[in-house]
Amino acid sequence: MSAPTHAKGLRITLRVWRQSGPSASGAFETHALESVSPDMSFLEMLDVLNESLVGTGKSPISFDHDCREGICGACSLVIDGHAHGPDAETTTCQLHMRHYRDGATITVEPFRANAFPVVRDLVVDRSAFDRIIAAGGFISVNTGSAPEANSLPVGKPLADEAMDNAACIGCGACVAACPNASAMLFVAAKISHLKLLPQGAPERESRALAMVEAMDKEGFGNCTNHYECGAACPKGIPVSSIARMNREFLRASLKSSPPRGAAPEGA
Amino acid sequence: MSDTTSKSGGSRLDSKVPSGPMAERWTRHKFDLKLINPANRRKFHLIVVGTGLAGSSAAASLAEMGYRVTVLCIQDSPRRAHSIAAQGGINAAKNYPNDGDSVHRLFYDTVKGGDFRARESNVHRLAEVSTRIIDQCVAQGVPFAREYGGLLANRSFGGAQVSRTFYARGQTGQQLLLGAYSALERQVGAGRVKLLARREMLDLVLVDGIARGIVARNLVTGEYERHAGDAVLMCTGGYGNVFYLSTNAKACNVTATWRAHKRGAFFANPCFTQIHPTCIPVSGDHQSKLTLMSESLRNDGRVWVPERSGDKRAPNEIPENERDYYLERLYPSFGNLVPRDVASRSAKEQCDLKKGVGESGMAVYLDFRDAIARDSEDAIRARYGNLFQMYERITGEDPYRVPMRIYPAVHYTMGGLWVDYNLESTLPGLFVLGEANFSDHGANRLGASALMQGLADGYFVIPATIASHLAGRKLAPVTTDHAAFAEAESSARERIARILSVQGKRSADSIHRELGLTMWNQCGMARDKAGLGQALEKIRALREEFWENVRVPGDSKNFNQTLEHAGRVADFLEFAELLALDAREREESCGGHFRTEHQTPDGEARRDDEHFSHASAWEFKGVGEAPALHKEPLNFEIVHPSTRSYK
Amino acid sequence: MMAWLQKLFGSSIGKKLWMALTGLLLLGFLVVHLAENLLLFSDRDGAAFDGYVHTLTSFAWIPLAELVLAGLFLAHIVQAIRVSLQNRAARSTPYALNPGHGGRTLASKSMLVTGSIVLLFLILHLAQFRFGDAAARERMAALVRGEFEKPLVLAAYLLGLMALAIHLSHGIQSALQTLGLSHPRYTPLLQKLSVLIAVLLALGFASMPVYFFASGASR
Repeated sequence: MSAPTHAKGLRITLRVWRQSGPSASGAFETHALESVSPDMSFLEMLDVLNESLVGTGKSPISFDHDCREGICGACSLVIDGHAHGPDAETTTCQLHMRHYRDGATITVEPFRANAFPVVRDLVVDRSAFDRIIAAGGFISVNTGSAPEANSLPVGKPLADEAMDNAACIGCGACVAACPNASAMLFVAAKISHLKLLPQGAPERESRALAMVEAMDKEGFGNCTNHYECGAACPKGIPVSSIARMNREFLRASLKSSPPRGAAPEGA
Repeated sequence: MSDTTSKSGGSRLDSKVPSGPMAERWTRHKFDLKLINPANRRKFHLIVVGTGLAGSSAAASLAEMGYRVTVLCIQDSPRRAHSIAAQGGINAAKNYPNDGDSVHRLFYDTVKGGDFRARESNVHRLAEVSTRIIDQCVAQGVPFAREYGGLLANRSFGGAQVSRTFYARGQTGQQLLLGAYSALERQVGAGRVKLLARREMLDLVLVDGIARGIVARNLVTGEYERHAGDAVLMCTGGYGNVFYLSTNAKACNVTATWRAHKRGAFFANPCFTQIHPTCIPVSGDHQSKLTLMSESLRNDGRVWVPERSGDKRAPNEIPENERDYYLERLYPSFGNLVPRDVASRSAKEQCDLKKGVGESGMAVYLDFRDAIARDSEDAIRARYGNLFQMYERITGEDPYRVPMRIYPAVHYTMGGLWVDYNLESTLPGLFVLGEANFSDHGANRLGASALMQGLADGYFVIPATIASHLAGRKLAPVTTDHAAFAEAESSARERIARILSVQGKRSADSIHRELGLTMWNQCGMARDKAGLGQALEKIRALREEFWENVRVPGDSKNFNQTLEHAGRVADFLEFAELLALDAREREESCGGHFRTEHQTPDGEARRDDEHFSHASAWEFKGVGEAPALHKEPLNFEIVHPSTRSYK
Repeated sequence: MMAWLQKLFGSSIGKKLWMALTGLLLLGFLVVHLAENLLLFSDRDGAAFDGYVHTLTSFAWIPLAELVLAGLFLAHIVQAIRVSLQNRAARSTPYALNPGHGGRTLASKSMLVTGSIVLLFLILHLAQFRFGDAAARERMAALVRGEFEKPLVLAAYLLGLMALAIHLSHGIQSALQTLGLSHPRYTPLLQKLSVLIAVLLALGFASMPVYFFASGASR
């Protein structure tokens, strides 16, 4: 585990958003970093900075992260105005410092949306997404009641398209990138995933209505079809999913019975 | 802990394994278990800690049955639990490919793969329920890979002789977890589950010797919370991060299980840790975690090192006759596809011989040159494109042109809290599910079996076995005003206050790194008595250093990630000692535990069934005190122990 | 009984559906309006155009149609302002840097600006030809020619029509997406078609002021 030494590292000037709590006002703080290894990930660069902050008794920068391999969706950050940084289809944890030139200035902000209030520094509260899923982002099947797995064939192209949408990691980059802070791509991905599979058919209408209603309650903006969400999505979820959701919602509005009050399944 | 360990018999370990023919035990046991009337279930309140595959599936299933459930998770959302990162797949004995698989074969393979250190009855149950897991997940909308005819696709995984692995691209764990998460959120929406995110369990509360609640800390506000219930289910994952660098997520920790252990739950086989052979090597001191590259790469990649020690030439400049394809040389019949533990250990041996490659010398090549020449670059791209892209993103090297550099990394921990057949720990009312328990994988876990176990425990085992506790014991009403809650809360508060009061010079992270390095070097892929002794001394010294010299800025009254981490490091520093002690106590080599003193003349693991055919369950006696060892003997009625050979 | 309609159009998707439907109806009006106006080119003295205007205005339902049209415009504009305000409110702290991710275009970014320009243009247009001097409106073709010979009017029309083209180039494809028309096979084509329709429409309208200004100048 010995470390290779890099003859020369990068000099980076970091402008980081600091905010002590949800209701506090925030501001940028500037840090000069000497000899940043190009092999570091962006988050490791922040780790190193935090170690030096701890060393001098200062408060380290809070940021969300967990798996650091691009799948858990915990990491966020808007880097130089890009949700998850400048690399296409790459989460912040997989962004590496070799993409930056020596002497670069990098501005780091939290995902900004009123529906994602800042917890501290770069950490935001994305529990709105969980509440949207709780409203209808599921197929109601109690454990034990499932039929034999192969009793319901699903065509491969359909299964693949469902998987494309199921790949959403719930990171919220779509909201962060949207000029209107809209959550349509996130909701559309889940509605698409479950709509494309035959298993999702029985709850097709109630799901579309309930999830859109839950989304609207959270204070996200409206979609005006800028498609920034699709461009920023680290998992490449297509904006055509939003069109599918629009269709599903319209269809459900036109044909469904009264809005669901109680959960559809019996207690 | 002193160097000598006190020992007692297995008297306190009642595995509650049912009798009768192996294939009927689970069915018979379910019939023998008491039932709880559906109308009465809502009177019981269950606390589930952790929302990985085991926690989410258990919480959802129990809530569906009518129990009231409170779920806590450490992340900002239950969907982020580290089960999400599992790539390869999930095993199930469906035998769709008609290649001779069966419940019995999956059972047999798992017992053998675990190097005969797992409980046969548990493993058989696991194999039995495996098929229903697939049914359940498909019904939830998990988009498993399909054939053109619309039926489910299977592949062979981790050297298995049959194709029994179901998968969803390279994201099987993600899709299974999102399935369980959606089932959980459905119950949250229906009001049957109370979900508390960004909460860390800090202590287990026992009332009259029964687990009746927990103390947790709200990581956003810093507030301490008491949760009372009729049972506690711990689904808090493994302890791989005791090595600092591992493929685990940064938040993975031993705190919940360790605190339960300190309250009396026995910890079993902590030395059984799994090291995955194909990870991206460490690139520098800044390294924060290691990234796994799917095992499937070994199907086409050839592993080699330069024949000459210290050869620093670029890989493409080393001619064919100066390369050592050591796996193919040492294991002609399995070649590059030897099991994980063998592949990992061999890579370490080559690096110890100074044949390692890359700047650090701690890597071996995984070369696709021949596969590209044979099948074309496009064919390789179709098979592994996303993995190659991930490798290039992290290393900046193009694996189509230059061989990949790989090195083993800690990946999974088979050890965990000891549980009986009902998944109940030695503390009544405390159930342990998934990677957090020790039960099903023995000394080595087979590929695509972790997802299977987590979901088996949550969807199918606990819904049946929880009644053994709820209906079988008299549970007096308990509220959070009970003195036991006050005591647990003040002990949790005190520990955090102590950490903050040290105000020394070292960060918790730097101490964690040093601990990890010690564990990796002396308690990693190859262990010996002397090294383990040194490790024990080092761990104790580091623990002292932590409590004298750690520096944690800020306070405990708000969101403080450094404080969270420091608390976990403090627990790792206590737990590491138990791991090293267990490794020293187990004088044999088996599965992921390789003692250099116990090997055959040609360097293979030598198991000692005469003396070590047991699970080692450790009882806590105090920090720095010798724990008591309890042995659960393992009886192999069906699969008779044999030596694994991959020559 | 109409609760479902209220719910539909009160939702975030309903709001954009509203924009799409009113927008497409307005587009329909523009197409008809262009066809009518092209009558100006059918003869030199404008008799055909004047005759058409005369016939049209003599219909009893025309005031009602005008009211509906005005309502459509209003519905489109008021909703646009409401939605824009809501969208601003959804992110009260703006980004320090906001270079975009490659999704948004000049047209999508400037809908409110181009829409406002079109609105101003509309006011000018109505003042000229709908609410202008009643006597002059009796001979509409001559009025149009007269107005279009003024350089400032030409400039205003070109600006307004450019804004309209940009507005529609996003608006048409956006409406299709909102209505759920999206498919990897035909979406790229539809997007190009949207731009083409927007440009052709604006060019068609622009042909009149340009032609009459040019012929006026050469006279």
